[in-house]
Amino acid sequence: MNGMTAVVEAEGLTKFYGQRRGLEDLDLAIQPGEVFGYLGPNGSGKTTTIRLLLDVIRPTRGRATVLGLDPGDAKVRARIGYLPGELALAGRERAGQYLRFLADARGGVAQARIDELAERLEADLSVPMGKLSKGNKQKVGLIQAFMHRPEFLILDEPTSGLDPLVQQEFLAMVREVRADGRTVLMSSHVLAEVEHVSDRVGIVRSGRLVAVEEVAALREKAVRRVELHFDAPVPPEAFEGLPGVRDLRAAGASVTCTIDGRPDALIKAAARFTVVHLVSAEPDLEEIFLTYYSGEEDQHARVGSAKPA
Amino acid sequence: MPALVAQSLREYRRMLIGWTIGISVFMSIYIGIYANIKESPEVYGPAALAKYPGALKDLMGGLADFTSGPGFLQSVVYQLFVPMLFIACACGIGNRAIAQPEESGLLELTVTLPIERVRLLLQRFGAGLLGLLAAVALTYLLAWAIATNVGVGVPADRILAAHTGVFLLALFFGTLTLAVGAATGRKGLASAVAGVWTIGGYAVVTIGQNVSAISWLKWVSPFHYYLEGKPIYQGFPVGDYLVLAGATAVLLLTAALAFDRRDVGV
Ligand SMILES: Nc1ncnc2c1ncn2[C@@H]1O[C@H](COP(=O)(O)OP(=O)(O)O)[C@@H](O)[C@H]1O
Ligand SMILES: [Mg+2]
Repeated sequence: MNGMTAVVEAEGLTKFYGQRRGLEDLDLAIQPGEVFGYLGPNGSGKTTTIRLLLDVIRPTRGRATVLGLDPGDAKVRARIGYLPGELALAGRERAGQYLRFLADARGGVAQARIDELAERLEADLSVPMGKLSKGNKQKVGLIQAFMHRPEFLILDEPTSGLDPLVQQEFLAMVREVRADGRTVLMSSHVLAEVEHVSDRVGIVRSGRLVAVEEVAALREKAVRRVELHFDAPVPPEAFEGLPGVRDLRAAGASVTCTIDGRPDALIKAAARFTVVHLVSAEPDLEEIFLTYYSGEEDQHARVGSAKPA
Repeated sequence: MPALVAQSLREYRRMLIGWTIGISVFMSIYIGIYANIKESPEVYGPAALAKYPGALKDLMGGLADFTSGPGFLQSVVYQLFVPMLFIACACGIGNRAIAQPEESGLLELTVTLPIERVRLLLQRFGAGLLGLLAAVALTYLLAWAIATNVGVGVPADRILAAHTGVFLLALFFGTLTLAVGAATGRKGLASAVAGVWTIGGYAVVTIGQNVSAISWLKWVSPFHYYLEGKPIYQGFPVGDYLVLAGATAVLLLTAALAFDRRDVGV
Protein backbone atom coordinates (compact mmCIF):
# COMPACT_ATOMS: atom_id res chain seq x y z
CA MET A 1 0.00 0.00 0.00
CA ASN A 2 2.58 2.52 1.07
CA GLY A 3 5.56 0.46 0.08
CA MET A 4 6.39 -0.53 3.64
CA THR A 5 5.96 -4.03 4.95
CA ALA A 6 2.80 -4.55 6.94
CA VAL A 7 3.44 -4.90 10.66
CA VAL A 8 1.00 -7.78 10.83
CA GLU A 9 -0.07 -9.81 7.88
CA ALA A 10 -2.33 -12.77 8.50
CA GLU A 11 -3.72 -15.09 5.87
CA GLY A 12 -6.25 -17.71 6.73
CA LEU A 13 -4.86 -17.77 10.24
CA THR A 14 -6.71 -20.47 12.13
CA LYS A 15 -6.45 -21.99 15.57
CA PHE A 16 -8.49 -24.85 16.94
CA TYR A 17 -8.05 -26.06 20.48
CA GLY A 18 -8.93 -29.66 19.78
CA GLN A 19 -12.47 -29.40 18.44
CA ARG A 20 -12.94 -25.96 19.88
CA ARG A 21 -12.63 -23.01 17.58
CA GLY A 22 -10.33 -20.27 18.83
CA LEU A 23 -9.90 -18.36 15.57
CA GLU A 24 -10.80 -19.19 11.99
CA ASP A 25 -9.55 -17.82 8.69
CA LEU A 26 -8.27 -14.51 9.88
CA ASP A 27 -7.13 -12.26 7.06
CA LEU A 28 -5.74 -9.05 8.40
CA ALA A 29 -3.11 -6.47 7.64
CA ILE A 30 -1.98 -3.85 10.12
CA GLN A 31 0.05 -1.03 8.63
CA PRO A 32 3.04 0.71 10.20
CA GLY A 33 2.09 3.63 12.37
CA GLU A 34 -1.52 2.73 12.96
CA VAL A 35 -3.30 1.99 16.20
CA PHE A 36 -5.52 -0.99 15.61
CA GLY A 37 -8.30 -1.72 18.09
CA TYR A 38 -9.24 -5.36 18.21
CA LEU A 39 -12.71 -5.70 19.57
CA GLY A 40 -14.88 -8.58 20.57
CA PRO A 41 -16.80 -10.02 23.47
CA ASN A 42 -15.14 -12.49 25.81
CA GLY A 43 -14.25 -15.74 24.13
CA SER A 44 -14.32 -14.29 20.63
CA GLY A 45 -10.69 -15.04 19.80
CA LYS A 46 -8.74 -11.88 20.61
CA THR A 47 -6.24 -13.51 22.94
CA THR A 48 -5.91 -16.44 20.56
CA THR A 49 -4.95 -14.07 17.74
CA ILE A 50 -2.45 -12.23 19.89
CA ARG A 51 -0.81 -15.38 21.21
CA LEU A 52 -0.48 -16.65 17.64
CA LEU A 53 1.32 -13.45 16.64
CA LEU A 54 3.74 -13.93 19.54
CA ASP A 55 4.39 -17.60 18.80
CA VAL A 56 3.11 -18.62 22.22
CA ILE A 57 0.72 -20.91 20.37
CA ARG A 58 0.99 -22.25 16.82
CA PRO A 59 -1.63 -22.01 14.10
CA THR A 60 -3.69 -25.01 13.09
CA ARG A 61 -3.44 -23.64 9.56
CA GLY A 62 -2.83 -20.39 7.78
CA ARG A 63 0.09 -18.09 8.32
CA ALA A 64 1.09 -14.79 9.80
CA THR A 65 4.08 -12.53 9.61
CA VAL A 66 4.97 -9.92 12.18
CA LEU A 67 7.25 -7.06 11.17
CA GLY A 68 7.84 -8.99 8.00
CA LEU A 69 9.20 -12.04 9.79
CA ASP A 70 7.91 -15.39 10.99
CA PRO A 71 6.59 -15.01 14.57
CA GLY A 72 8.74 -18.00 15.54
CA ASP A 73 11.86 -15.96 14.96
CA ALA A 74 13.04 -14.77 18.38
CA LYS A 75 14.50 -11.62 16.82
CA VAL A 76 10.98 -10.38 16.11
CA ARG A 77 10.09 -10.47 19.77
CA ALA A 78 12.91 -8.05 20.57
CA ARG A 79 10.98 -5.46 18.56
CA ILE A 80 7.64 -6.15 20.23
CA GLY A 81 6.25 -5.03 23.57
CA TYR A 82 3.56 -7.33 24.88
CA LEU A 83 1.02 -7.01 27.63
CA PRO A 84 -0.71 -10.35 28.23
CA GLY A 85 -4.45 -10.41 28.78
CA GLU A 86 -4.15 -12.36 31.96
CA LEU A 87 -0.95 -11.04 33.39
CA ALA A 88 0.38 -13.28 36.12
CA LEU A 89 2.89 -11.82 38.55
CA ALA A 90 3.56 -13.66 41.75
CA GLY A 91 6.09 -14.42 44.42
CA ARG A 92 8.20 -12.49 46.86
CA GLU A 93 10.28 -10.80 44.23
CA ARG A 94 9.86 -7.07 44.05
CA ALA A 95 8.27 -5.67 40.92
CA GLY A 96 11.34 -3.50 40.30
CA GLN A 97 13.66 -6.49 40.37
CA TYR A 98 11.46 -8.38 37.94
CA LEU A 99 11.37 -5.43 35.55
CA ARG A 100 15.16 -5.28 35.80
CA PHE A 101 15.30 -8.92 34.70
CA LEU A 102 12.96 -8.33 31.75
CA ALA A 103 15.00 -5.27 30.78
CA ASP A 104 18.26 -7.24 30.90
CA ALA A 105 16.77 -10.13 28.98
CA ARG A 106 15.79 -7.63 26.30
CA GLY A 107 19.35 -6.48 26.02
CA GLY A 108 19.22 -3.65 28.52
CA VAL A 109 16.89 -0.76 29.23
CA ALA A 110 18.08 2.19 31.27
CA GLN A 111 16.81 2.15 34.85
CA ALA A 112 15.86 5.80 34.39
CA ARG A 113 13.41 4.77 31.68
CA ILE A 114 11.74 2.23 33.98
CA ASP A 115 11.59 4.77 36.79
CA GLU A 116 10.11 7.38 34.50
CA LEU A 117 7.30 5.05 33.43
CA ALA A 118 6.70 3.94 37.01
CA GLU A 119 6.37 7.55 38.06
CA ARG A 120 4.06 8.31 35.22
CA LEU A 121 1.72 5.46 36.08
CA GLU A 122 2.25 5.90 39.81
CA ALA A 123 3.38 2.35 40.23
CA ASP A 124 5.17 1.33 43.41
CA LEU A 125 7.94 -1.01 42.30
CA SER A 126 9.15 -1.86 45.79
CA VAL A 127 6.15 -4.08 46.47
CA PRO A 128 6.56 -7.87 46.21
CA MET A 129 4.73 -9.00 43.10
CA GLY A 130 2.48 -11.39 44.94
CA LYS A 131 1.14 -8.48 46.94
CA LEU A 132 0.36 -6.18 44.02
CA SER A 133 -3.27 -5.28 43.45
CA LYS A 134 -4.83 -6.04 40.07
CA GLY A 135 -4.40 -2.45 39.00
CA ASN A 136 -0.78 -2.34 40.07
CA LYS A 137 0.00 -5.58 38.28
CA GLN A 138 -1.45 -4.06 35.16
CA LYS A 139 0.84 -1.05 35.63
CA VAL A 140 3.89 -3.29 35.90
CA GLY A 141 2.66 -5.04 32.76
CA LEU A 142 2.39 -1.75 30.93
CA ILE A 143 5.85 -0.64 32.04
CA GLN A 144 7.47 -3.81 30.72
CA ALA A 145 5.57 -3.53 27.45
CA PHE A 146 6.54 0.10 26.83
CA MET A 147 9.99 0.34 28.41
CA HIS A 148 12.16 -0.74 25.48
CA ARG A 149 10.29 1.56 23.06
CA PRO A 150 9.27 -1.32 20.81
CA GLU A 151 8.32 -0.78 17.19
CA PHE A 152 5.16 -2.76 17.75
CA LEU A 153 3.05 -2.90 20.90
CA ILE A 154 0.61 -5.75 21.39
CA LEU A 155 -1.67 -5.03 24.30
CA ASP A 156 -4.33 -7.55 25.32
CA GLU A 157 -7.10 -5.75 27.20
CA PRO A 158 -4.68 -3.12 28.50
CA THR A 159 -7.19 -1.00 30.36
CA SER A 160 -8.72 -3.76 32.45
CA GLY A 161 -8.19 -3.07 36.13
CA LEU A 162 -6.85 0.45 35.63
CA ASP A 163 -8.56 3.31 37.37
CA PRO A 164 -9.79 6.14 35.12
CA LEU A 165 -6.87 8.49 35.74
CA VAL A 166 -4.32 5.84 34.91
CA GLN A 167 -6.40 4.88 31.89
CA GLN A 168 -6.03 8.44 30.63
CA GLU A 169 -2.29 8.34 31.19
CA PHE A 170 -2.12 5.04 29.36
CA LEU A 171 -4.06 6.44 26.41
CA ALA A 172 -1.64 9.35 26.33
CA MET A 173 1.23 6.87 26.16
CA VAL A 174 -0.45 5.13 23.23
CA ARG A 175 -0.86 8.45 21.43
CA GLU A 176 2.84 9.17 21.94
CA VAL A 177 3.70 5.82 20.45
CA ARG A 178 1.58 6.63 17.44
CA ALA A 179 3.14 10.08 17.16
CA ASP A 180 6.53 8.30 16.97
CA GLY A 181 5.24 6.35 14.00
CA ARG A 182 5.19 3.10 15.94
CA THR A 183 2.36 0.60 15.70
CA VAL A 184 -0.13 -0.63 18.29
CA LEU A 185 -2.52 -3.57 18.36
CA MET A 186 -4.78 -3.41 21.36
CA SER A 187 -7.74 -5.59 22.21
CA SER A 188 -10.77 -4.75 24.24
CA HIS A 189 -14.32 -5.85 24.69
CA VAL A 190 -15.47 -2.26 25.04
CA LEU A 191 -15.31 0.08 22.08
CA ALA A 192 -15.28 3.09 24.36
CA GLU A 193 -11.88 2.03 25.69
CA VAL A 194 -10.17 2.05 22.34
CA GLU A 195 -12.16 4.33 20.06
CA HIS A 196 -10.41 7.50 21.15
CA VAL A 197 -6.96 6.26 20.22
CA SER A 198 -7.62 3.77 17.45
CA ASP A 199 -7.40 4.55 13.77
CA ARG A 200 -9.14 1.36 12.80
CA VAL A 201 -10.96 -1.32 14.67
CA GLY A 202 -11.52 -4.93 13.80
CA ILE A 203 -14.49 -6.71 15.26
CA VAL A 204 -14.04 -10.37 16.01
CA ARG A 205 -16.79 -12.63 17.04
CA SER A 206 -16.91 -16.40 17.64
CA GLY A 207 -13.45 -16.71 16.18
CA ARG A 208 -14.15 -14.79 13.00
CA LEU A 209 -13.23 -11.28 12.01
CA VAL A 210 -16.59 -9.85 11.01
CA ALA A 211 -15.63 -6.28 10.20
CA VAL A 212 -12.72 -3.91 9.94
CA GLU A 213 -13.70 -0.28 10.03
CA GLU A 214 -12.19 3.14 10.31
CA VAL A 215 -13.19 4.37 13.75
CA ALA A 216 -14.87 7.43 12.30
CA ALA A 217 -17.05 5.24 10.07
CA LEU A 218 -17.89 2.92 12.92
CA ARG A 219 -18.98 5.75 15.11
CA GLU A 220 -21.39 6.84 12.43
CA LYS A 221 -22.90 3.40 12.39
CA ALA A 222 -22.98 3.02 16.14
CA VAL A 223 -26.24 2.86 17.97
CA ARG A 224 -26.49 5.42 20.68
CA ARG A 225 -29.09 5.65 23.39
CA VAL A 226 -30.21 9.21 23.90
CA GLU A 227 -32.38 10.75 26.56
CA LEU A 228 -33.76 14.26 26.21
CA HIS A 229 -35.47 16.22 28.98
CA PHE A 230 -37.50 19.33 28.26
CA ASP A 231 -38.89 22.08 30.40
CA ALA A 232 -42.44 21.13 29.40
CA PRO A 233 -44.21 18.10 27.92
CA VAL A 234 -43.52 17.67 24.21
CA PRO A 235 -45.77 16.22 21.48
CA PRO A 236 -44.46 12.72 20.57
CA GLU A 237 -45.33 13.34 16.91
CA ALA A 238 -42.52 15.87 16.74
CA PHE A 239 -40.01 13.01 17.03
CA GLU A 240 -41.73 10.35 15.00
CA GLY A 241 -40.36 9.25 11.70
CA LEU A 242 -36.98 10.91 12.10
CA PRO A 243 -34.27 9.22 10.06
CA GLY A 244 -32.10 6.93 12.17
CA VAL A 245 -34.26 7.26 15.28
CA ARG A 246 -35.66 4.06 16.73
CA ASP A 247 -37.30 2.73 19.88
CA LEU A 248 -38.82 6.10 20.49
CA ARG A 249 -40.55 6.63 23.82
CA ALA A 250 -41.98 10.03 24.55
CA ALA A 251 -43.54 10.46 27.95
CA GLY A 252 -44.41 13.90 29.25
CA ALA A 253 -41.36 16.08 29.23
CA SER A 254 -38.87 13.43 28.26
CA VAL A 255 -37.96 11.50 25.15
CA THR A 256 -35.77 8.43 24.98
CA CYS A 257 -34.68 6.69 21.84
CA THR A 258 -31.76 5.03 20.14
CA ILE A 259 -30.11 6.61 17.17
CA ASP A 260 -28.28 5.03 14.33
CA GLY A 261 -25.31 7.02 13.20
CA ARG A 262 -25.64 10.75 13.14
CA PRO A 263 -27.75 12.46 15.79
CA ASP A 264 -28.42 15.35 13.45
CA ALA A 265 -32.15 14.87 12.78
CA LEU A 266 -32.93 14.29 16.43
CA ILE A 267 -31.03 17.37 17.53
CA LYS A 268 -32.84 19.50 14.99
CA ALA A 269 -36.21 18.18 16.11
CA ALA A 270 -35.36 18.76 19.76
CA ALA A 271 -34.15 22.27 19.06
CA ARG A 272 -37.72 23.42 18.65
CA PHE A 273 -38.26 22.89 22.37
CA THR A 274 -36.33 23.90 25.45
CA VAL A 275 -33.87 21.17 26.30
CA VAL A 276 -32.95 21.14 29.99
CA HIS A 277 -30.94 17.94 30.06
CA LEU A 278 -29.35 15.62 27.52
CA VAL A 279 -27.91 12.18 28.17
CA SER A 280 -26.11 10.35 25.42
CA ALA A 281 -24.70 7.01 26.45
CA GLU A 282 -21.51 5.82 24.79
CA PRO A 283 -22.52 3.34 22.14
CA ASP A 284 -21.53 -0.09 23.28
CA LEU A 285 -20.17 -2.81 21.16
CA GLU A 286 -22.98 -5.18 21.88
CA GLU A 287 -25.40 -2.79 20.29
CA ILE A 288 -23.26 -2.38 17.21
CA PHE A 289 -23.31 -6.12 16.86
CA LEU A 290 -27.05 -6.23 17.23
CA THR A 291 -27.54 -3.61 14.57
CA TYR A 292 -24.98 -4.60 11.99
CA TYR A 293 -24.32 -8.23 12.41
CA SER A 294 -27.74 -9.44 13.44
CA GLY A 295 -28.39 -11.17 10.15
CA GLU A 296 -27.89 -14.79 9.33
CA GLU A 297 -24.60 -15.05 11.08
CA ASP A 298 -26.15 -14.11 14.35
CA GLN A 299 -28.78 -16.79 13.94
CA HIS A 300 -26.07 -19.36 13.35
CA ALA A 301 -24.12 -18.18 16.32
CA ARG A 302 -27.12 -18.47 18.58
CA VAL A 303 -28.11 -21.89 17.29
CA GLY A 304 -24.49 -22.98 17.53
CA SER A 305 -24.08 -21.91 21.11
CA ALA A 306 -27.37 -23.49 22.11
CA LYS A 307 -26.16 -26.93 21.07
CA PRO A 308 -25.00 -29.14 23.90
CA ALA A 309 -21.21 -29.22 24.05
CA MET B 1 25.58 -14.94 33.22
CA PRO B 2 22.50 -14.69 30.95
CA ALA B 3 19.70 -12.69 32.56
CA LEU B 4 17.34 -15.66 32.47
CA VAL B 5 19.81 -17.94 34.26
CA ALA B 6 20.29 -15.38 37.02
CA GLN B 7 16.53 -14.86 37.28
CA SER B 8 15.88 -18.61 37.37
CA LEU B 9 18.43 -19.03 40.15
CA ARG B 10 16.61 -16.36 42.12
CA GLU B 11 13.38 -18.27 41.62
CA TYR B 12 14.88 -21.58 42.74
CA ARG B 13 16.88 -20.10 45.58
CA ARG B 14 14.45 -20.47 48.45
CA MET B 15 13.64 -24.03 47.56
CA LEU B 16 17.32 -24.93 47.22
CA ILE B 17 18.23 -23.34 50.51
CA GLY B 18 15.37 -25.13 52.25
CA TRP B 19 16.36 -28.54 50.94
CA THR B 20 20.06 -27.95 51.62
CA ILE B 21 19.32 -27.09 55.22
CA GLY B 22 17.00 -30.07 55.59
CA ILE B 23 19.47 -32.52 54.10
CA SER B 24 22.30 -31.04 56.18
CA VAL B 25 20.33 -31.44 59.38
CA PHE B 26 19.47 -35.02 58.44
CA MET B 27 23.10 -35.87 57.72
CA SER B 28 24.39 -34.17 60.85
CA ILE B 29 22.07 -36.15 63.07
CA TYR B 30 22.43 -39.51 61.36
CA ILE B 31 26.14 -39.54 60.62
CA GLY B 32 26.65 -38.28 64.17
CA ILE B 33 24.92 -41.40 65.52
CA TYR B 34 27.82 -43.42 64.23
CA ALA B 35 29.85 -42.26 67.21
CA ASN B 36 27.58 -44.35 69.48
CA ILE B 37 27.55 -47.35 67.18
CA LYS B 38 31.30 -47.36 66.94
CA GLU B 39 31.53 -47.47 70.72
CA SER B 40 29.18 -50.38 71.17
CA PRO B 41 28.73 -52.26 67.89
CA GLU B 42 27.54 -55.38 69.75
CA VAL B 43 24.44 -53.45 70.85
CA TYR B 44 23.58 -51.78 67.56
CA GLY B 45 24.50 -54.46 65.08
CA PRO B 46 22.15 -57.26 66.22
CA ALA B 47 19.61 -54.74 67.43
CA ALA B 48 19.40 -53.12 64.03
CA LEU B 49 19.06 -56.40 62.27
CA ALA B 50 16.48 -57.79 64.65
CA LYS B 51 14.36 -54.70 64.40
CA TYR B 52 13.67 -55.02 60.70
CA PRO B 53 11.73 -57.77 58.94
CA GLY B 54 13.44 -59.31 55.93
CA ALA B 55 11.64 -57.31 53.26
CA LEU B 56 12.31 -54.07 55.03
CA LYS B 57 15.95 -55.06 55.39
CA ASP B 58 16.06 -55.59 51.64
CA LEU B 59 14.48 -52.21 51.17
CA MET B 60 17.23 -50.67 53.24
CA GLY B 61 19.83 -52.31 51.06
CA GLY B 62 20.39 -55.34 53.28
CA LEU B 63 21.76 -53.56 56.35
CA ALA B 64 24.71 -55.90 56.23
CA ASP B 65 27.84 -54.65 57.82
CA PHE B 66 25.83 -51.98 59.57
CA THR B 67 28.31 -51.46 62.35
CA SER B 68 31.29 -50.81 60.12
CA GLY B 69 31.94 -47.25 58.99
CA PRO B 70 31.27 -47.77 55.27
CA GLY B 71 28.33 -50.07 55.98
CA PHE B 72 26.77 -47.52 58.24
CA LEU B 73 27.30 -44.63 55.84
CA GLN B 74 25.87 -46.65 52.99
CA SER B 75 22.81 -47.93 54.89
CA VAL B 76 21.82 -44.82 56.73
CA VAL B 77 22.87 -42.03 54.40
CA TYR B 78 23.58 -43.10 50.85
CA GLN B 79 21.24 -46.05 50.41
CA LEU B 80 17.84 -44.43 50.59
CA PHE B 81 17.33 -41.25 52.51
CA VAL B 82 19.79 -38.78 51.03
CA PRO B 83 19.14 -39.90 47.45
CA MET B 84 15.40 -39.59 47.99
CA LEU B 85 15.72 -36.16 49.56
CA PHE B 86 17.87 -34.93 46.69
CA ILE B 87 15.55 -36.45 44.13
CA ALA B 88 12.60 -34.66 45.70
CA CYS B 89 14.54 -31.41 45.63
CA ALA B 90 15.57 -31.86 42.00
CA CYS B 91 12.03 -32.77 40.92
CA GLY B 92 10.77 -29.64 42.63
CA ILE B 93 13.20 -27.56 40.62
CA GLY B 94 12.38 -29.55 37.48
CA ASN B 95 8.77 -28.49 37.85
CA ARG B 96 9.65 -24.93 38.65
CA ALA B 97 11.53 -24.62 35.39
CA ILE B 98 8.55 -24.86 33.04
CA ALA B 99 5.35 -26.58 34.13
CA GLN B 100 4.70 -24.68 37.34
CA PRO B 101 5.15 -21.17 35.94
CA GLU B 102 3.25 -22.27 32.86
CA GLU B 103 0.25 -23.39 34.91
CA SER B 104 0.26 -20.20 36.91
CA GLY B 105 0.63 -18.06 33.77
CA LEU B 106 4.04 -16.73 34.75
CA LEU B 107 5.75 -18.28 31.75
CA GLU B 108 3.80 -16.18 29.26
CA LEU B 109 6.10 -13.17 29.52
CA THR B 110 9.21 -15.34 29.56
CA VAL B 111 8.37 -17.11 26.30
CA THR B 112 7.69 -13.78 24.62
CA LEU B 113 11.18 -12.48 25.39
CA PRO B 114 13.58 -12.52 22.48
CA ILE B 115 14.97 -15.91 23.51
CA GLU B 116 14.43 -19.04 21.42
CA ARG B 117 12.40 -21.73 23.11
CA VAL B 118 15.26 -24.23 23.15
CA ARG B 119 17.63 -21.71 24.65
CA LEU B 120 15.01 -20.72 27.20
CA LEU B 121 14.61 -24.31 28.33
CA LEU B 122 18.36 -24.88 28.44
CA GLN B 123 18.86 -21.76 30.54
CA ARG B 124 16.12 -22.80 32.96
CA PHE B 125 17.81 -26.21 33.15
CA GLY B 126 21.26 -24.66 33.50
CA ALA B 127 20.18 -22.60 36.48
CA GLY B 128 18.70 -25.70 38.11
CA LEU B 129 21.90 -27.60 37.42
CA LEU B 130 24.01 -24.86 39.02
CA GLY B 131 21.72 -24.71 42.03
CA LEU B 132 21.73 -28.46 42.49
CA LEU B 133 25.51 -28.54 42.13
CA ALA B 134 25.84 -25.95 44.86
CA ALA B 135 23.57 -27.92 47.18
CA VAL B 136 25.47 -31.14 46.43
CA ALA B 137 28.86 -29.48 46.97
CA LEU B 138 27.85 -28.01 50.32
CA THR B 139 26.34 -31.23 51.60
CA TYR B 140 29.37 -33.18 50.39
CA LEU B 141 31.68 -30.98 52.43
CA LEU B 142 29.41 -31.39 55.42
CA ALA B 143 29.19 -35.18 55.02
CA TRP B 144 32.93 -35.43 54.72
CA ALA B 145 33.53 -33.16 57.75
CA ILE B 146 31.13 -35.05 60.02
CA ALA B 147 32.26 -38.46 58.81
CA THR B 148 35.86 -37.52 59.53
CA ASN B 149 34.90 -36.07 62.87
CA VAL B 150 33.13 -39.19 64.14
CA GLY B 151 35.67 -41.49 62.56
CA VAL B 152 33.55 -43.31 60.01
CA GLY B 153 36.74 -44.24 58.26
CA VAL B 154 35.61 -43.74 54.68
CA PRO B 155 38.08 -41.77 52.58
CA ALA B 156 36.99 -38.46 51.08
CA ASP B 157 37.11 -39.76 47.51
CA ARG B 158 34.69 -42.60 48.33
CA ILE B 159 32.25 -40.16 49.89
CA LEU B 160 32.68 -38.00 46.80
CA ALA B 161 31.94 -41.00 44.61
CA ALA B 162 28.69 -41.70 46.47
CA HIS B 163 27.74 -38.06 46.58
CA THR B 164 28.35 -37.74 42.85
CA GLY B 165 26.04 -40.69 42.33
CA VAL B 166 23.34 -38.99 44.40
CA PHE B 167 23.81 -35.88 42.28
CA LEU B 168 23.47 -37.83 39.03
CA LEU B 169 20.39 -39.65 40.29
CA ALA B 170 18.77 -36.41 41.38
CA LEU B 171 19.72 -34.76 38.11
CA PHE B 172 18.18 -37.64 36.18
CA PHE B 173 14.85 -37.43 37.99
CA GLY B 174 14.85 -33.64 37.99
CA THR B 175 15.41 -33.66 34.24
CA LEU B 176 12.70 -36.27 33.85
CA THR B 177 10.29 -33.99 35.69
CA LEU B 178 11.41 -31.08 33.54
CA ALA B 179 10.95 -33.14 30.38
CA VAL B 180 7.41 -34.28 31.19
CA GLY B 181 6.53 -30.75 32.24
CA ALA B 182 8.11 -29.25 29.15
CA ALA B 183 6.30 -31.70 26.89
CA THR B 184 2.88 -31.40 28.52
CA GLY B 185 2.83 -28.28 30.68
CA ARG B 186 1.34 -30.34 33.51
CA LYS B 187 3.25 -30.33 36.75
CA GLY B 188 1.01 -32.89 38.42
CA LEU B 189 1.67 -35.35 35.63
CA ALA B 190 5.40 -34.60 35.75
CA SER B 191 5.51 -35.26 39.51
CA ALA B 192 3.50 -38.45 39.09
CA VAL B 193 5.78 -39.85 36.39
CA ALA B 194 8.91 -38.99 38.37
CA GLY B 195 7.41 -40.34 41.60
CA VAL B 196 6.35 -43.66 40.10
CA TRP B 197 9.69 -44.13 38.34
CA THR B 198 11.60 -43.27 41.51
CA ILE B 199 9.69 -45.58 43.82
CA GLY B 200 9.33 -48.35 41.26
CA GLY B 201 12.97 -48.05 40.28
CA TYR B 202 14.13 -48.26 43.86
CA ALA B 203 11.84 -51.19 44.66
CA VAL B 204 13.06 -53.12 41.63
CA VAL B 205 16.72 -52.99 42.69
CA THR B 206 16.03 -53.77 46.35
CA ILE B 207 13.05 -55.94 47.26
CA GLY B 208 12.53 -56.88 43.62
CA GLN B 209 16.02 -58.08 42.86
CA ASN B 210 15.28 -61.66 43.80
CA VAL B 211 11.97 -61.81 41.98
CA SER B 212 13.03 -63.12 38.62
CA ALA B 213 9.87 -61.97 36.88
CA ILE B 214 10.77 -58.34 37.43
CA SER B 215 14.48 -58.41 38.05
CA TRP B 216 15.21 -57.48 34.41
CA LEU B 217 13.49 -54.15 35.14
CA LYS B 218 16.63 -53.10 36.98
CA TRP B 219 18.04 -52.04 33.62
CA VAL B 220 15.53 -49.20 33.47
CA SER B 221 16.01 -48.29 37.10
CA PRO B 222 18.37 -45.35 37.56
CA PHE B 223 19.13 -46.70 41.05
CA HIS B 224 20.78 -49.72 39.50
CA TYR B 225 23.46 -47.48 38.02
CA TYR B 226 24.06 -45.89 41.39
CA LEU B 227 23.85 -48.77 43.86
CA GLU B 228 25.30 -51.59 41.81
CA GLY B 229 28.81 -50.16 41.78
CA LYS B 230 28.88 -49.64 45.60
CA PRO B 231 30.67 -46.29 45.38
CA ILE B 232 31.21 -46.08 49.14
CA TYR B 233 33.24 -49.29 48.97
CA GLN B 234 34.67 -49.23 45.49
CA GLY B 235 34.82 -45.61 44.38
CA PHE B 236 33.46 -44.20 41.14
CA PRO B 237 31.54 -46.66 38.96
CA VAL B 238 32.44 -44.60 35.92
CA GLY B 239 30.53 -46.61 33.34
CA ASP B 240 27.33 -46.66 35.37
CA TYR B 241 27.54 -42.95 36.05
CA LEU B 242 28.03 -42.28 32.36
CA VAL B 243 24.83 -44.19 31.68
CA LEU B 244 23.00 -41.93 34.14
CA ALA B 245 24.52 -38.81 32.63
CA GLY B 246 23.74 -39.99 29.10
CA ALA B 247 20.13 -40.77 29.97
CA THR B 248 19.83 -37.32 31.49
CA ALA B 249 21.20 -35.75 28.32
CA VAL B 250 18.62 -37.65 26.27
CA LEU B 251 15.84 -36.43 28.55
CA LEU B 252 17.08 -32.88 28.26
CA LEU B 253 17.16 -33.05 24.51
CA THR B 254 13.65 -34.49 24.49
CA ALA B 255 12.51 -31.71 26.78
CA ALA B 256 13.97 -29.02 24.53
CA LEU B 257 12.53 -30.46 21.33
CA ALA B 258 9.09 -31.07 22.85
CA PHE B 259 8.92 -27.58 24.35
CA ASP B 260 9.98 -26.03 21.07
CA ARG B 261 7.05 -27.58 19.20
CA ARG B 262 4.29 -26.96 21.64
CA ASP B 263 1.60 -24.40 22.44
CA VAL B 264 2.37 -22.79 25.78
CA GLY B 265 -0.28 -22.18 28.40
CA VAL B 266 -3.24 -23.87 26.72
N1 LIG C 1 -6.47 -23.15 26.04
C1 LIG C 1 -7.67 -23.27 25.49
N2 LIG C 1 -8.26 -24.47 25.38
C2 LIG C 1 -9.47 -24.60 24.81
N3 LIG C 1 -10.19 -23.59 24.33
C3 LIG C 1 -9.66 -22.36 24.41
C4 LIG C 1 -8.38 -22.13 25.00
N4 LIG C 1 -8.11 -20.82 24.94
C5 LIG C 1 -9.18 -20.25 24.35
N5 LIG C 1 -10.11 -21.17 24.04
C6 LIG C 1 -11.39 -20.92 23.37
O1 LIG C 1 -11.17 -20.19 22.21
C7 LIG C 1 -12.13 -19.18 22.07
C8 LIG C 1 -11.45 -17.82 21.99
O2 LIG C 1 -10.82 -17.55 23.22
P1 LIG C 1 -9.92 -16.27 23.46
O3 LIG C 1 -9.01 -16.12 22.31
O4 LIG C 1 -9.32 -16.39 24.79
O5 LIG C 1 -11.02 -15.11 23.44
P2 LIG C 1 -10.94 -13.62 23.96
O6 LIG C 1 -9.53 -13.26 24.24
O7 LIG C 1 -11.53 -12.84 22.85
O8 LIG C 1 -11.79 -13.55 25.18
C9 LIG C 1 -13.07 -19.32 23.26
O9 LIG C 1 -14.18 -20.07 22.85
C10 LIG C 1 -12.27 -20.07 24.25
O10 LIG C 1 -13.09 -20.85 25.07
MG1 LIG D 1 -8.78 -12.53 26.07
